[in-house]
Amino acid sequence: MQSVVEFDNVGLRYGTGSETLSDVSFTLYPGSFYFLTGASGAGKTSLLKLLYLAHRPSRGSIRMFGNDAVTLSRERLPGFRRRIGVVFQDFRLVQHLSARDNIALPLRIAGIQEKDLAGPVKEMLNWIGLSERADARPATLSGGEQQRVAIARAVIGRPEILVADEPTGNVDPEMARRLLQLFAALNKLGTTIVVATHDIHLINEIEDTQMMRLDKGRLSDPTGSLRNPPKPLVLKS
Amino acid sequence: MLLDFALPEHERKLIPEGRVSGSMPWVIAIMTFLTVLAASAGLIMLNATQQGSDDIARQVTVQIVEPDPAARNAQRDRLAEMLKRDDGVSQAEIVPDAEIRELLIPWLGEDIEEANIPVPSLIDVTLRESADAAKLDALAAKIRPISPSAKLDSQANWIAPFFALMNSLLMLTGGILLLLLLATSATVMLAVRSALNTHKETLGIMHMLGGTDVQAARLFQRRMALDALLGAVVGFVLAAVIIWILSFQFSAAGSGLLTGASMPWYGWIIIALIPLGVMGLAMLIARRTALSALRNIT
Repeated sequence: MQSVVEFDNVGLRYGTGSETLSDVSFTLYPGSFYFLTGASGAGKTSLLKLLYLAHRPSRGSIRMFGNDAVTLSRERLPGFRRRIGVVFQDFRLVQHLSARDNIALPLRIAGIQEKDLAGPVKEMLNWIGLSERADARPATLSGGEQQRVAIARAVIGRPEILVADEPTGNVDPEMARRLLQLFAALNKLGTTIVVATHDIHLINEIEDTQMMRLDKGRLSDPTGSLRNPPKPLVLKS
Repeated sequence: MLLDFALPEHERKLIPEGRVSGSMPWVIAIMTFLTVLAASAGLIMLNATQQGSDDIARQVTVQIVEPDPAARNAQRDRLAEMLKRDDGVSQAEIVPDAEIRELLIPWLGEDIEEANIPVPSLIDVTLRESADAAKLDALAAKIRPISPSAKLDSQANWIAPFFALMNSLLMLTGGILLLLLLATSATVMLAVRSALNTHKETLGIMHMLGGTDVQAARLFQRRMALDALLGAVVGFVLAAVIIWILSFQFSAAGSGLLTGASMPWYGWIIIALIPLGVMGLAMLIARRTALSALRNIT
């Protein structure tokens, strides 16, 4: 089976400090659903940053969609990033754009015509329950509403990989369940999902998920006891 | 690049457009105002120099220095007749004695006639073409058999230092235009860098969502182009009004040296293109600055 992402002995160091991630090796396959857990400061966000190509590793190799992602030229980066949906922990919504325009942003960047994006954006707004607030700016939305907009923005382009950093951190349990169902629906359509979370209860919400656990920057306990028995995760180390 | 300028509205919204509120259009207005004035001064000087040098280079004065008034007048009349028939001469006019006396009175006093001073006779000659040394020699050779003491005086000789000054001023104007060009470029560069800094967060998000450097640069390019066009038009209009008023004053002065000191027709076209040039320059500098700076944003 062709992998979508392959990490081999990856290390990440910020500046001259000690390594935030060390010897991380794993393979992600198309259509799989992964949870990434670990204590605060374990390196989850750093690992996700490598996954959504915000950083390049200090060592090791990363292959993405069959290409070497470490030496990827700047000109080719946007093309790869358009295949990856990201839900940032701090949402990173564009403050001067409405909820509707924020959700439409990835499609506009990809050059989709206005007439072709109005329908999907409306559908997405309905789905996250913010149709009435489509014209609201992020500053006027609650934390949970902003998070929903961020998720809608990440999934609207039907990415091949969806990377979500604590996507349910600011929403109520009911909304959290609905968002996870959206992720599961996307997963069934073939999108590889990676969700970083502290919330171990979420893991039981979705069938057939696999778990990765980071401990002090090292990938450990890949078949861990949080899920019993987990599907075998394809890991190199 | 012009197609980049016409961005769809939704793409324009990515960077909020706070024109007029910023100082950039007003700085550009001042730069354009100075550029248009400097360019106009250069064009007027160029026109005056070209026109003046053409006219003056064709002007020659024949001076007949003969103590005997009767012989002097006879030589003058024969020379005038000969010059009028010459193919290389378009006009030859005897300067009336009264006019010569008028010219000399400030130096020799009212009693010039009583003093019995031998005043030379003068013939103003306009050649068909500019007088170079060879032409003057040929003309002198024709004059000498009629009046051996006659002297040819080309007006180009005494006016040469004036035209040398005009050429120096033209070069100075060129230098000033170059400096204004550099200052305008630097202004745009600083404005783009400042705008990039302000919108760093939005640009970072765009990049993470797969936006390219060119897409982001286009936004700044468009914004700078609009700011520059607005400022350039304001600067141009103010400068054009001043040039128009000065043109009237030059015409009213009517001095011989200022005869050609007016804006040539093509000059108005050139200065009208300056605002468009400023806009084009702003777009180019904005694009290059943005593309260069965006490489440092992930």
